[in-house]
Amino acid sequence: RVSSDGKPPKFQPPPKPVIIDRKTQKEERRFLSPEFIPPRGRTDPLKYFIERKDMIQRRKVFNIPEFYVGSVLAVTTADPHASDKSNRFVGICIQRGGKGLGATFVLRNVIEDQGVEICYELYSPRIQAIEVLKLEKRLDENLMYLRDALPEYSTFDVNMKPVLRMEHEEIPVNKLQVRMKPKPWSKRWERPKYNIKGIKFELPEHKMKAAQKWSQPWLEFDMLREYDTSKIEEKIRKELSEELEK
Amino acid sequence: MMPIWTKSGEKRPVTLLKVQDCHVLRYVSKEESGGKTAKLLVGGKNVSPFSKPESAHEIFKEAGVPRKQKVTTFNVTDDAIIKPGTPLYAAHFRPGQFVDVTAKTIGKGFQGVMKRWGFKGQPASHGQTKTHRRPGAISTNKAAKVYRGKKMPGKMGNIYRTSFGLKVWRINTKHDIIYVNGSVPGHTNCLVKVRDSKLPTYKDCNKNPPFPTFFADGDEELPEDLFDEEIFQFTDPSVTFA
Repeated sequence: RVSSDGKPPKFQPPPKPVIIDRKTQKEERRFLSPEFIPPRGRTDPLKYFIERKDMIQRRKVFNIPEFYVGSVLAVTTADPHASDKSNRFVGICIQRGGKGLGATFVLRNVIEDQGVEICYELYSPRIQAIEVLKLEKRLDENLMYLRDALPEYSTFDVNMKPVLRMEHEEIPVNKLQVRMKPKPWSKRWERPKYNIKGIKFELPEHKMKAAQKWSQPWLEFDMLREYDTSKIEEKIRKELSEELEK
Repeated sequence: MMPIWTKSGEKRPVTLLKVQDCHVLRYVSKEESGGKTAKLLVGGKNVSPFSKPESAHEIFKEAGVPRKQKVTTFNVTDDAIIKPGTPLYAAHFRPGQFVDVTAKTIGKGFQGVMKRWGFKGQPASHGQTKTHRRPGAISTNKAAKVYRGKKMPGKMGNIYRTSFGLKVWRINTKHDIIYVNGSVPGHTNCLVKVRDSKLPTYKDCNKNPPFPTFFADGDEELPEDLFDEEIFQFTDPSVTFA
């Protein structure tokens, strides 16, 4: 830089090193699989406790990795009718449903111009391996709209290599806005009930305004619908960490 | 209800039944009851004694047991008589046994003929005047009366029904839980009566059950979980087809 006075530039000390305490940061972000959180209801908590014991038992023998809706997974299952007796499917996870042992996830891919969705059970003994090829989150928790989106957004290479990521990085949120096929769609995704942020709506203004007619602005203030899971989650996290260390 | 997997990888839905404070209350001999076999009165879940009069507590006082919510009778042969006051546990049943489960179905209140009896009703359009879910004709002309037991609207549910021939997959002796195949009548946390199956196909299925019942203070030390042979246990590795 050219100084105005002609004197040598003032000595700038180097910036102080910022110490990031990895241990405290790691404790803040911990992943609890959504099927461990019991739903609201009148069932005896003993039932969920017994189910969790079975789930932990399965996780000790078989590794179920952390993944979110929007990550690309490869699942190998045992298939009695295939020649190698095993079947490998690669796809993007569009939905995670179910609680307890019956938890499922749906993988979607487009193979030879045909869209294929397979719903796998997380705790089924026929699953031999689950690999996370790309771990990322999307703007929504349910990507069922990919059925009405252009097929390029659901195609993933079957021989894709796993994308390497560092252990302590934040999970990247893919803010991709998907372009849709022309209407009619399987569901009216522009309506506020689905609350979708990941679609680039190219509909005219008056249609978007008309869709807001079905909005229910009182829902977010409804106290009976509140389900605070923080304390339950803490207990379950503690239980999980104790059991998995044994 | 919970899923359970067999060794071949098939999924079966399973209902969990908890045996909560079951005690034998009284022995009624064949002559006393007037039936073909002797009866044993068994009581279920413990409940506060303050909501019923003292006269209702006599059976429980004789057996030395707190007041029970439900009392049922089991028809029992003479060699299976148990002393009143003995507790009954889930280990009375063994995996691989077949069982009948009786309970009161979920009450649906006063229901119309389409929901209660499965009638087809009438079309929604094409000129139907105010008739879409009605029973239609209730008898013929020649009969000149309505037969007794004619299916009509009325209170539906809240009656005792039995599911027969349910397989017992697994027993948890620590928490007294029986895993029974399929669904069972009744709502969640309702009281249920579990009996050895009376179906003729399962007459010879019980191989050496604990007879007359499983005694906790006996010499037998049972493991915490008893599994059926075909169940996939989560301690095993994933299923492969060779």
